[in-house]
Amino acid sequence: MFLDLTEEQKLIQETARNFARSELEPLAAKLDREGDRPAFLANLKKLAELGFMGLNVQGEYGGSEAGVVAFSVAMTEIARACASTAVTVSVNNMVCEVIQTIGSQEQKEKYIPLICSGAYAAGSFALTETGAGSDPAGMTTTAVLDGDSWVLNGSKIFITSAPYAGVFVVWAVTDREAPKGKGISCFLVEQGTPGLVIGKQEEKTGQHASATNELVFDNCRIPKDALMGKLNDGFRIAVAELGGGRIGIGSLALGVGLAAMDYATRYSTERVQFGQKISSFQAIQWKIADSYTELEAARLLLMSAAFRKESGRPFAKEASMAKLFATEAANRACYNAVQMLGGYGYTADFPVERYARDVRITSIYEGTSEIQRVIIAREILKNFS
Amino acid sequence: MKILVCIKQVPDMESRFRPNGDKTWYDESDLAFRMNEYDEYAVEQAVQLKEQLGGEPEITVLSIGPERTVEAIKKALAMGGDRAVHIRDDRYYQKDPWQIASMIASYAKGESFDLIFTGMQSQDRGSAQVGVIVAELLGLSCATTLVGFSYDGGTVTVKRELEGGIKGVAKLKLPALVTCQLGLNTPRYPTLPNIMKAKKKEIAALTPAELSGEAELTATAAIYPPAKKGGGLVLEGEIGAQVDRLMGILKEKTAVLR
Repeated sequence: MFLDLTEEQKLIQETARNFARSELEPLAAKLDREGDRPAFLANLKKLAELGFMGLNVQGEYGGSEAGVVAFSVAMTEIARACASTAVTVSVNNMVCEVIQTIGSQEQKEKYIPLICSGAYAAGSFALTETGAGSDPAGMTTTAVLDGDSWVLNGSKIFITSAPYAGVFVVWAVTDREAPKGKGISCFLVEQGTPGLVIGKQEEKTGQHASATNELVFDNCRIPKDALMGKLNDGFRIAVAELGGGRIGIGSLALGVGLAAMDYATRYSTERVQFGQKISSFQAIQWKIADSYTELEAARLLLMSAAFRKESGRPFAKEASMAKLFATEAANRACYNAVQMLGGYGYTADFPVERYARDVRITSIYEGTSEIQRVIIAREILKNFS
Repeated sequence: MKILVCIKQVPDMESRFRPNGDKTWYDESDLAFRMNEYDEYAVEQAVQLKEQLGGEPEITVLSIGPERTVEAIKKALAMGGDRAVHIRDDRYYQKDPWQIASMIASYAKGESFDLIFTGMQSQDRGSAQVGVIVAELLGLSCATTLVGFSYDGGTVTVKRELEGGIKGVAKLKLPALVTCQLGLNTPRYPTLPNIMKAKKKEIAALTPAELSGEAELTATAAIYPPAKKGGGLVLEGEIGAQVDRLMGILKEKTAVLR
């Protein structure tokens, strides 16, 4: 068994870390509080030029061919500095991968290079609806074939990067008579298509720089060949691709958790109460020990899931385990970090309150912790029946 | 044009250092290693020159060190180096600058490089001698601590950093060796596709025995952490007197009030 990163993976980690420290970190607090979309998008463009938007994408489409382990370590390093940037990079990678997996040759050649090069600031993944969150098969957005085009009607919610995405991967019901989940198809919809309306931007608790919007399809007409993958096979695709996204979000959460604990631990070696550094108190030491232990366990789960995916083995259960554990561990780490800073941890003068807000969504989006447990239990019980 | 860039892999400078068992080097276990910062300026300048000349020059990257050194070599290749030579030496830290420079010169002698870039010094040993000794051994013109570099028609013009904030300008004829200082350029991030492509570039392995059997001129007797100083100075007494004392200290011991 070999648990070290390869030289290439280490260099990618180093590049991500150096970029995150010098370009992302200095801007993160400002992006959180007052926002600066041009600066946010400029950094995404730089990350695209370095090859971070298609880590597990083939070179012929502009990808880096660096693999899933490299994707995971890069996400963690980016998230240590800026969770909003990290989630955008994660979704862009997922959109590239879904197009690479099921897109036609024309779709791959057209869209993946636009995302990988940064010509498109982002790609969006439009699955969730107001009535279809943890139960995406309950979606009601429809696509009806009308001559040479599909006509989309309905709405999506919580769509990452919607205002600046160049293309949306959209799921819609194409066979209303089919059993639940069997009549859903996947489409590529370009930004600016008439009838595609970018709706209200959500006011979120954290990850402020990453826009999250409603999408409305009002007789949105797209070409017949905008269908991606097989007709009525879309739900299976969505479920499969979300597994990869979960590695991304788990890795992101790990990065935020590490940032919070690194900050709080350093603080504990300087802060004096009762005449001694608070790191000399066992109450603080246990928080440090518990959080770093959990974060290291999260890292190993993520590496294992990423390695399985990279090796072409089934990874859905492992990705769910890694996502579940990493996001919950990161939430606990951020809670501990705020606690270690006391009142200061609750103020905007210190970054841990931002980490605590940014990390909260990670156990919700890309499948809640509850849904991860459903998936994990289902996969395990398969072997017992 | 043939360019050689000499690089070294050094520990991340945020590491905690401890002397090793025989107290002649630091303990390398549990350290993360990076390319020496000054060598990144050297690689970047070489790649910029290659770009200026339309890609014609061939850049060879050379490094001496144990197996882990390959990571730094691959970074230099990902930044734009064409091929590399790895002088595989697990005992590199026991060699003095003379021995290191002799190995490099012994390799470079047969290759007739037009221009050699090195860092001004390594971040760990910091002797700042290897570059100049290589130049001397090969009979090259040489300039150190570069903060500016330009090349035009066979002549290298360099800006050097001198003491006290003074800069100097020198012109060198090829073949030449230059050592690079902070401020010369901003090293590029290696792109991910280039990191992956660097896997396919040639890294030739050599052993010290094939190059030079020079004996050391300077042996390291001991390496040790400086003795811990007492805490800072605490001023006490009446506030006006404290201010006067503080002003006196700032005037005498610092440049703040000059």
